[in-house]
Amino acid sequence: MTDCHGEIGCITCGDVAVEMTVLTVDDLQRLAMCAAADGTEETVEVELVGAVAPGDELLVHAGTALQRLSTA
Amino acid sequence: MRFVDEFRDPELGRALAGEILSLVEAGRHYKVMEVCGGHTHSIYKYGIDDLLPENVELVHGPGCPVCVIPMGRVDDGIALAKIPGAIFTCFGDMMRVPGSNGSLLDAKAEGADVRMVYSPLDALRIAKKNPDRQVIFFALGFETTAPSTALTLRRARAEGVSNFSCMCNHVTIVPPLRALLDSPDLRLDGFVGPGHVSTVVGARPFEFIPADYGKPVVISGFEPLDILQSVSMILRQLAEGRSEVENQYSRVVPYEGNVTALKVMAEVFELRPHFEWRGLGFISQSALALSEAYADLDAERRFGVPGVRVADPKACQCGEVLKGVIKPWECKVFGTACTPERPIGTCMVSPEGACAAYYSYGRYATEREVV
Repeated sequence: MTDCHGEIGCITCGDVAVEMTVLTVDDLQRLAMCAAADGTEETVEVELVGAVAPGDELLVHAGTALQRLSTA
Repeated sequence: MRFVDEFRDPELGRALAGEILSLVEAGRHYKVMEVCGGHTHSIYKYGIDDLLPENVELVHGPGCPVCVIPMGRVDDGIALAKIPGAIFTCFGDMMRVPGSNGSLLDAKAEGADVRMVYSPLDALRIAKKNPDRQVIFFALGFETTAPSTALTLRRARAEGVSNFSCMCNHVTIVPPLRALLDSPDLRLDGFVGPGHVSTVVGARPFEFIPADYGKPVVISGFEPLDILQSVSMILRQLAEGRSEVENQYSRVVPYEGNVTALKVMAEVFELRPHFEWRGLGFISQSALALSEAYADLDAERRFGVPGVRVADPKACQCGEVLKGVIKPWECKVFGTACTPERPIGTCMVSPEGACAAYYSYGRYATEREVV
């Protein structure tokens, strides 16, 4: 089993979220492929943060962007 | 890294520690609760409490969702995981939380198909790949995680994924804070408010704390300087005789939260009349269930669960730790019978749990020399 005890604790189950950068956007599905600082890539729900574009920085928790940190 | 490096600067940290020292009154003991497990983790990891004056005590709150889940709910999850042919999905930490007769990891070892996921969306993907099997997602977390579950349930509905369902254990942050403030066990001077929960709910839900109880709240980020600055802002309010909600984490948290997230949550969830919290007992309207509109995706309704209340193990003092009444190392089984490898209590399971955080980073702090 992969452990989720990383540098910032458990990213999925607590009040911890990670900063991610948008790589590509699927507007139809409201999903974006995003990368974390360590290079980890993840498909992220972007429904809650309006339109996003490659280069935007998002605060992501459990696969969902909760806030936009900056616009590209 | 942006939003990180500049918030770990040792020089600025020392300056903030000096500012904090100038704000405290000699002879007064200050108890400040950090509500969120993420803050607890940072405090132990960076030794933040070592930078505070002796009369400023950080008290660890109930903001670790894994830690507050009662044993009965773990048993209910295991019962669902053991349904023949089912795939049970949950976050990693939840797999090691002990129920009355083992954990989900034990159930997996006995043959149940229990899988760790990083997001509810991962669980939905598993459901789409396995259309002949029932896929259950064990939803857990505060308002930070609940929007993610809500969006996934909406997506499951829109895509007609009928073999997907959710056992909802989402909890809300405000009712336990009120319960703690009403508890005669604890006298608190102020709160370091949860950062990422507030990105969703905003700052407004915390206004009752200064209004009804006269205590300051400062919503805080998670880096060492964030937490030190928040403590400083709380102490300044106390020194100036003020009590209000302040937002130290304004680079991320808007005062009104994420309105779209709140709307989605209101559509998918409804408040449970009451929910049991480990250590705090039953708290009314403190957790979420799926709304009637999403009842068909509710695993509890689809399959039924035992729903038996189970008392916590006698040796475990998680309840007192979660209320901040005792420190992790004051529990009788801390670090001996109860370790992160073989936890007895929930606080030792998640890295955000006070006991696990202290075990990993802070257990030598009592022996460290103050410099």
